[in-house]
Amino acid sequence: MNHELTIAWLYPDLMSTYGDRGNIMVLQKRCQWRGIATRVTPVTLETEAKELSHCDLIFMGGAQDRQQKIASDDFIRRKGPVIGEMVESGIPALFVCAAYQFVGHYYKPYQGDAIPGAGIFDLYTEHPGDQAKRLIGNVVAQLESDQFLSTSSYDQTIVGFENHGGRTYLGSKMKPLAKVLHGFGNNGEDGYEGALYKNSIGSYFHGPLLSKNPHIADWLIATALEMKYKNDLALAALDDRLEWQAHAFLLHR
Amino acid sequence: MRSHWIIGIGKLVSWMSTVLHLGAGATWPGEIALRVNHGIFAFFVSQFRKEIILVAGTNGKTTTSLMITQVLEKHGFSVVHNSSGANLLNGVVSACIQRSSWNGTLRADYGVFEVDENSLPVVISIIKHKESVKGFTLVLLNLFRDQLDRYGEVDVIAEKWEKSLREQRAQHKKKSNSRNKKIIQIIANADDPLIAHLASIASISTPDIKAFYFGLNDRALFQQRMDHATDSIFCPSCGSRLAYEGMYYSHIGVWHCLSCGAKRPVPDIDAWQSPLPGLYNQYNTLAAVAALRSVGVSDSHIQNALTDFAPAFGRQEEFLMDGKRLKLFLSKNPAGFNASLQTVLNMKPITLLLVLNDRIPDGRDVSWIWDVDFEVLGNKKIEIIVSGDRAYDLAVRIKYAIQFQNFTVETDLKKAISHVLQTVKNGETVYILATYSAMLAVRKVITGKKIV
Repeated sequence: MNHELTIAWLYPDLMSTYGDRGNIMVLQKRCQWRGIATRVTPVTLETEAKELSHCDLIFMGGAQDRQQKIASDDFIRRKGPVIGEMVESGIPALFVCAAYQFVGHYYKPYQGDAIPGAGIFDLYTEHPGDQAKRLIGNVVAQLESDQFLSTSSYDQTIVGFENHGGRTYLGSKMKPLAKVLHGFGNNGEDGYEGALYKNSIGSYFHGPLLSKNPHIADWLIATALEMKYKNDLALAALDDRLEWQAHAFLLHR
Repeated sequence: MRSHWIIGIGKLVSWMSTVLHLGAGATWPGEIALRVNHGIFAFFVSQFRKEIILVAGTNGKTTTSLMITQVLEKHGFSVVHNSSGANLLNGVVSACIQRSSWNGTLRADYGVFEVDENSLPVVISIIKHKESVKGFTLVLLNLFRDQLDRYGEVDVIAEKWEKSLREQRAQHKKKSNSRNKKIIQIIANADDPLIAHLASIASISTPDIKAFYFGLNDRALFQQRMDHATDSIFCPSCGSRLAYEGMYYSHIGVWHCLSCGAKRPVPDIDAWQSPLPGLYNQYNTLAAVAALRSVGVSDSHIQNALTDFAPAFGRQEEFLMDGKRLKLFLSKNPAGFNASLQTVLNMKPITLLLVLNDRIPDGRDVSWIWDVDFEVLGNKKIEIIVSGDRAYDLAVRIKYAIQFQNFTVETDLKKAISHVLQTVKNGETVYILATYSAMLAVRKVITGKKIV
């Protein structure tokens, strides 16, 4: 049986600042190497929200402030509600940095009123003030759930780079993705990084997240296939030595 | 001015760091002097007999300021230039200290300084406050995403520059009747929407701030496909998506806004023979020529002086080792890396050594390699060797760009360099693309082995 996945890439021209497109490349290539056909649907300001309904996997990345403002209105009013329904139904999604903040209840800047989010994830983000330090640096974190296990001995950790001013706090419906071993994570206080809800992941890791964490990439692909074809498909193993060497380098640094 | 002893100390530090090979001679003398006397730069500024030329932008500062310096020097002027590439205020001051006498006297016509993006507003404010300075020239090259963990986002830099330029403008308006007026000449890249916007904000209905634009008018150079690492494709005036008649690279091109009517200014200069290969060097050359014209150097002088331009260290610098050539391209951000790759590919390379570090001068975040279009290396018979502190990160990036095509990872830089040398015959060239600290490390390996 020939499998095919359609990946929605939200705002590739507005929200792709920190090498975010790497996540799309990793998903596409890892499918291609296994003979799974992929299509990437770029979802921009001009795209109709109904285009999203053909998609099996969702990705949205980080942005600069100006671009974030341009995208936010469109996301809250048009794309957000559709994506909310898809996430509820179990379609896998990955939201990184600004997108992670966007899908929460609100973002409160250090001046002015809170900016409403799409409320897809039960979380909120606050900026503690212009004197507060940005949380920047390499991060290593221990995964909280065993659902990402693979054949590698490094499959219990995730590694990446974070760079954010806002501090994100999870509500009771969310599970943290991982426990920070080195770095700051969601808010630099509670020791957790990222969030899990249904089959969706939120994270502050760019680097990009999936390039050095092939187990997360494969989990997203496997889940998308499972949702689409309604049966458990084992993914063929790939030669991931380089990916794990890059992972191990940060782990042991 | 009780600056004599500070300058003495600065010169001593400079001399000691050279003798002891501390490698910090380019910043520490200035840093110490600034800590003791914050006004030290203003003291130097007032001594230049002619003008000060500041060169700013993400890519091309070192090459452009070196072009300006070499032409002025060949024309018989004495120039103080921060040629080491140390471009924070402490680097600029260090360059002055190194050239001054022990009592702080600078006998120089021009100051040509490349200035870091974040330091530009401070440097401008010091120059403008000095009454004895009649004016200065500001060269604005481009703004690309670069070391986001250190500099912040492109828009943040642009905002700082805009604030600084608006202050200049307000002051000029206020002083329009006074005799103590400074003329500011802004040499701006017409093809970079953000830069063109900044220059127009500063100069509009302000007679003493003049904007000169450089840009290309060559449709044959338009690229077929848009680079991924574009930052300013939305109108800086109204925020709508910009339309392009064509793009030369990244977001640099012939742009206009369908919504508010803003458009690329007509360039005052659009053609000049560049002494170095690469589209980005055409822009550097145009900027340098425009700056030189603005301070009154004739075209024939510029032409003569630029023909034998010697590139700055690590910028297409050439070495000879065991009868083989090595050409080193500093490549430190997506736009720069794409430009280097494009230039190197035009030279039909046999072997490519790519070196990625993540030290402070490189930026600790290596995510940007995913914004570089390494896909252009696909389907070509080029041997690729990957090295540096973050060799594996780069290797993963290359793997996803060109699949399982053959490439080698060698984390030991010395071994990587001897390996690449074995891949070419005598007289052939190895091309090396490296981030900043990696470029210095490569030079050290090569020059440590006696270069010719």
